[in-house]
Amino acid sequence: MIELKNVTKSYLVGKTQRVTALKDVNLNIKEGEVIVLKGASGSGKSSILSLIAALSKPTSGEIIVDEKKISKLSDNFASLYRRDNIGFIFQKYNLVPNLSARDNILLPLVPLNLSAKEAQEKLRSVMEMFEIAHKAETIVKNLSGGEQQRVAIARANVNNPKIIIADEPTANLDEKLSLAFIEILRELKSLNKTIVIATHDPLFFGLDFVDREIEIHNGSIVR
Amino acid sequence: MKNKINFYLMEFAINALLRQKYKSIFISVVFVLLTFLLTSVFFISNSIKYELNATLDALPQIIIQATKGGKHYDIETKEVSNILQIEGVSDAVARVWGYYYFQNAGVSFSLVGIDAYETQYKDSLTKIAHKYEFETEEGKPSMMIGEGVSKIMKKNYYKNYFNFIKNDGSLKRVEIAAAFESETELESNDMIVMSKDTLRDIFDMPDSQATDIVVKVANPNEIATIASKLQFMYPTAHIVTKEDLSVRYQNIFNYKSGFFLALFVIALFTFFIIIYDKVSGLSSEEKREVGILKALGWRIDDVLKEKFYESFIISFFSYIVGVALAFAFVYLFEAPLLRDIFIGYSELKPSFELSFVFDFQTLFLVFFLSVPIYIAATIIPSWRVATLESDEVIR
Repeated sequence: MIELKNVTKSYLVGKTQRVTALKDVNLNIKEGEVIVLKGASGSGKSSILSLIAALSKPTSGEIIVDEKKISKLSDNFASLYRRDNIGFIFQKYNLVPNLSARDNILLPLVPLNLSAKEAQEKLRSVMEMFEIAHKAETIVKNLSGGEQQRVAIARANVNNPKIIIADEPTANLDEKLSLAFIEILRELKSLNKTIVIATHDPLFFGLDFVDREIEIHNGSIVR
Repeated sequence: MKNKINFYLMEFAINALLRQKYKSIFISVVFVLLTFLLTSVFFISNSIKYELNATLDALPQIIIQATKGGKHYDIETKEVSNILQIEGVSDAVARVWGYYYFQNAGVSFSLVGIDAYETQYKDSLTKIAHKYEFETEEGKPSMMIGEGVSKIMKKNYYKNYFNFIKNDGSLKRVEIAAAFESETELESNDMIVMSKDTLRDIFDMPDSQATDIVVKVANPNEIATIASKLQFMYPTAHIVTKEDLSVRYQNIFNYKSGFFLALFVIALFTFFIIIYDKVSGLSSEEKREVGILKALGWRIDDVLKEKFYESFIISFFSYIVGVALAFAFVYLFEAPLLRDIFIGYSELKPSFELSFVFDFQTLFLVFFLSVPIYIAATIIPSWRVATLESDEVIR
C-alpha cells in the first residue's frame, strides 16, 4: 500500500547549509498494518511521516501509495490526496486554539462543502466514537490535554481516511492518557486502518497489535 | 448534495475575524474613516461643482466696471447706448447691485436691483421680475429675499420688513414680499432683489449711475473680440469676461480642496501602513494556521477563498458603513466643519445647503481605491504561505 523507494530528504538550513534528514530509505507498508517508527529526536521519523502524508516532497526517490506516485503530485493534488486518504495526528495536536472542538473537527470537511445533514452525520459519528461529544462547543484552548488529543483524533478520522499518521502522539500526555490513546489505536486497527506512528515513548514498544517496529538512526532504517 | 456557495468556508472566515476581534475592529475603524473621508470629499465637491456650474452658466458674458486709480467706481448709465452700437453686442444692461453688511448677524447680503420693464441679464431675474411686484398695495417699497437671508432676518425679528441703514445714518424700511428659491443655492441664498430705485436710495446712488454694465454677445465665440473692443473704448475700465470669472471661482474651489487633500493623505497614509503590514507577511500564528489547513486537505484555492471572504467581509462592510456615514454627514447634517473649509464664505453666504448629487462613479471610485487593494493585500501574503510546503510552515 505505501512504498518508499530510495527516498532521500534534505532541508535547507539558513541560506546555504543543507541537512540530510533521510538517506536512501526503502520501506513497504501493507494495508491494515500498524507500524511504529522509533528513534531519537532528529533521527528522521517525522520526515518519513511528512513524506507519506505528502506534506513535503522527497529530494530524490519515489513514494507510492495505492499505486500512485505521490512524490510527484502537484500541491493541489497533494491536498486532495491528504483529504481523501490521510488522517494526521500531530505532536502538539495543531488545533486552531480559538475555535470550538466541533469547528476544529469540521475543518477537513470545510472544502468538501457537504450538505449540512451529511456533515452533521460525520461529525456526530466521530465525536461519539472518540467520546468528545459532550465538549463539542467548548473552545479547544480550554480543554485538557487528553481532551485536546481526542479532538485531534476525531479530526483526523472525520473523513474516514485509510491511513492514520501520528507524530509523537503521547509526547504531551501522562501515562494514563497515553494508555487510553493506545486503546484508541487498537480500535482503529480493528477498522482495518493503516497506521504509522513515530514515537520514542516506550509504551508503544512490544504492543500486541503493532505489526512492525522500525528503528531509524541518522536518517536511515537500521532495523 | 453540494451547495453552490460554501457556507462552511464563509462561517470559518467570519470566525477567523471574530477570533482576532481587536485587530479586526482596528482595521475596520481605519477603513471606515478612510471611506467616510474620501466619500465625504467627493460628495461635497460634487455638490459644490454642481452649484458652481449652475452659477457659472448664469454669469453674464462680459462685465464692464469703471475704475479710477485701480478702484472700482460707479459707471454712467448713458454708456449703455454707446455699447449697443458695437457690432455683435445683442444687449447691454446697467446693473445696480452691491453688498450690505448686517452687523447684528455678522453676515453680508447681496443686493440686486432690477426693473420689471427691462430685459434682465439672466433668466432667474426675469422670472422674479415677472412674478413679483416691487411695491406693496400701499405703495411701499418691497423686496424678494433668498432663503438664507429669510432665515437670518427672522432670527433677528425682521419677519415682514427690514430696515437698511443708509450712508447718512437714516433708515430705509423695505417690506419683505416673499422668499424665493433659485436653481442654484450658491447664487441665490444670500440674495435680496428689489427695484433699482429702492436700491439706489439705500446706496445713495444717482439715477444716472449704475454699479456696472453687463453685455450680451450674440455669438459666444466673439466674447473675446468684443471684450477687446470694449477695452479699447474704455481704457481704464475693468472688463471681465465669463471665462475670467469661471477661472476665479475654480481657483477658490481648488484652493479649498487642498485642505481636504491634507486630511485625505493622513487617512490614506494610515490605510497604507495597514496594507504594508499585511503585504509584508503573515504572523507566525497565521502562517501556522494556513499550514494546518493545508495539512488537513485544504487546497491553495480553498485557503485563498477563505482569505478572500475574510478580507471582503471586513472591507466591504467598512466601505458600506463609511459611505452611509458620509451620506448622512454630508446630506443630512450638512457636513459640519468640512463644509466651511470648502465653501469658505460663511460671512458672504449666510446658509448654504449641499445639493444632493448622486454619482455612481464616485461610489465606484471609492470602492476601487479601497476594497480591492485591501483584498489583494490580504490574499498575496496568504498565497505566498499557502504555496510553501505545509511541513515547512508547521515546523
